[in-house]
Amino acid sequence: MKDDIYWSSIDLYPLQSEEHNRIAPFYQHLRENRFTTTRCTRCGAEPWPPRVVCPECMSDQLEWIDLPVTGVLDTFTIEEVGVPLGFERPLVHGLVKINDRLTLFSRIVDAKLEELKEGMTVTLKVIPIPRDRVIYAFTPA
Amino acid sequence: MRKVAVIAGAMNKWGERQATFRDMIAEAGKLCFDSCEGLRPKDVDGLLLSTAFVEKNQFQTHGAPLAAELLGIKPTNLIGKVELLCASGTTAIHLAYTHIACGYSDVVMVVGVDKLFLPDKRETIWNLQASCDRDFDCIHGLGVPPPLFAMMAKKHMKAYGTTEKQMAAVAVKNHRNGSKNKYAQFQNVITMEEALNARVIVNPLRLYDCCPVTDGAAAVVLACEERAKEFTRDPVYILSIAQANTHKNSANMPSLTTWEHVVIAAPKAYARAGITAKDVDVAEIHDCFTISEIIETEDLGFCKKGEGGAFVEEGQSDFGGTVVVNPSGGLLTCGHPFGATGERQAQEIFHQLRGDAPNQVPGAKIGLQHTMSGFCSDCSLTIYGRI
Repeated sequence: MKDDIYWSSIDLYPLQSEEHNRIAPFYQHLRENRFTTTRCTRCGAEPWPPRVVCPECMSDQLEWIDLPVTGVLDTFTIEEVGVPLGFERPLVHGLVKINDRLTLFSRIVDAKLEELKEGMTVTLKVIPIPRDRVIYAFTPA
Repeated sequence: MRKVAVIAGAMNKWGERQATFRDMIAEAGKLCFDSCEGLRPKDVDGLLLSTAFVEKNQFQTHGAPLAAELLGIKPTNLIGKVELLCASGTTAIHLAYTHIACGYSDVVMVVGVDKLFLPDKRETIWNLQASCDRDFDCIHGLGVPPPLFAMMAKKHMKAYGTTEKQMAAVAVKNHRNGSKNKYAQFQNVITMEEALNARVIVNPLRLYDCCPVTDGAAAVVLACEERAKEFTRDPVYILSIAQANTHKNSANMPSLTTWEHVVIAAPKAYARAGITAKDVDVAEIHDCFTISEIIETEDLGFCKKGEGGAFVEEGQSDFGGTVVVNPSGGLLTCGHPFGATGERQAQEIFHQLRGDAPNQVPGAKIGLQHTMSGFCSDCSLTIYGRI
């Protein structure tokens, strides 16, 4: 394969721009350090992850709402073996409780392992990735 | 609805194989035909292939016609591929069962395969990241997830006092069972000390708490009662099937310590079969990690909630106990080529109920198969019986 060819089928990360993805605003919000999902304007459901159709009532009239950008580290674990290519080892995985309804599995970055504690506050960390895209993780506050 | 029987079943040699997935379909298919005297490819009118990774790892789509061609089967009633990650095979068995029960097919081979050892080991680990919610979970480096089961173990320990020693007891039992299975990936017996002192994979999970990466295939043949009796005097009947799915994204899993899909599906499977959990003599359940077997024995109703650790520690899931769990050695020692595990469990139960398994549970009459898949998303149950 030529070096200048990009094939999305072997890319770990999704295409994020409006040209390719109808939830492109989620990624735009991340760039503004906002963590968002969609709310159904008909029934009020706030599913995670964001949608283009409400899974509760099938409405497609959705609006973007902000979720908290800080959360509580409920549990964490440290992966020593089998860390995928492109991720640093050890890889810290956390369950981050961001509100009463939503606990997210997330990578915990920029953390000193000895300082990690259940119950500590963590905050959103937006990370640039190739092809002008972003992903999110959480980091100790 | 017609009664449906298993009339043949086999697995090939599992492990790091010097063979393609095509080779392994042929191996398992041959052994499956060999397990039922008189059964030939021309007798089979349907074929389902189950595989989770052949599209990613071997760049092959539309695999079912390939499997049929490799095995000399020319389906006239049913052909297709089934994917539900780790439960692909069990789901394929359920669909073949339903097709036969409805009268649309008479004799269906269900063959499962996956080849996970590639020249660069990082490739399968990379492709595993296609298995969770790719856009929202896999971006964190989550694949088929030891980290999830590590979290489950931590939470189960906190909620119920489950110990690392109890988890290790699962590994010790299943390695002892697997040592009698020549088709399993590992035949090594391990001690409690070895299990407890093995290297950490994802804390608190150590090496023997985790199933390995595996190449393998397995196959079973299902038939309507009338055709089954042409080929065998002692068919093993499928008494019931049940499934439930609760989520895909990690955030939508109802509980890490009680698997709601099992709680939903197990009572249905027992009721449909006209049995209770107490009637199960032998069970092949999804021990992808030691903690999984502990939680499953609870949620399947083999023991009370929270007592899964003590259940295995006291030998209740071993020979001479309440129910023999994973006499084949389970995923921990057979290995886990995702798309083939369902057929592998099914053929073990088939042989157990016929009384010719290598590690035979004496007098087993009722067998249960449980398969879980993905981010602990779902549960697929099959109950088999000699009736």
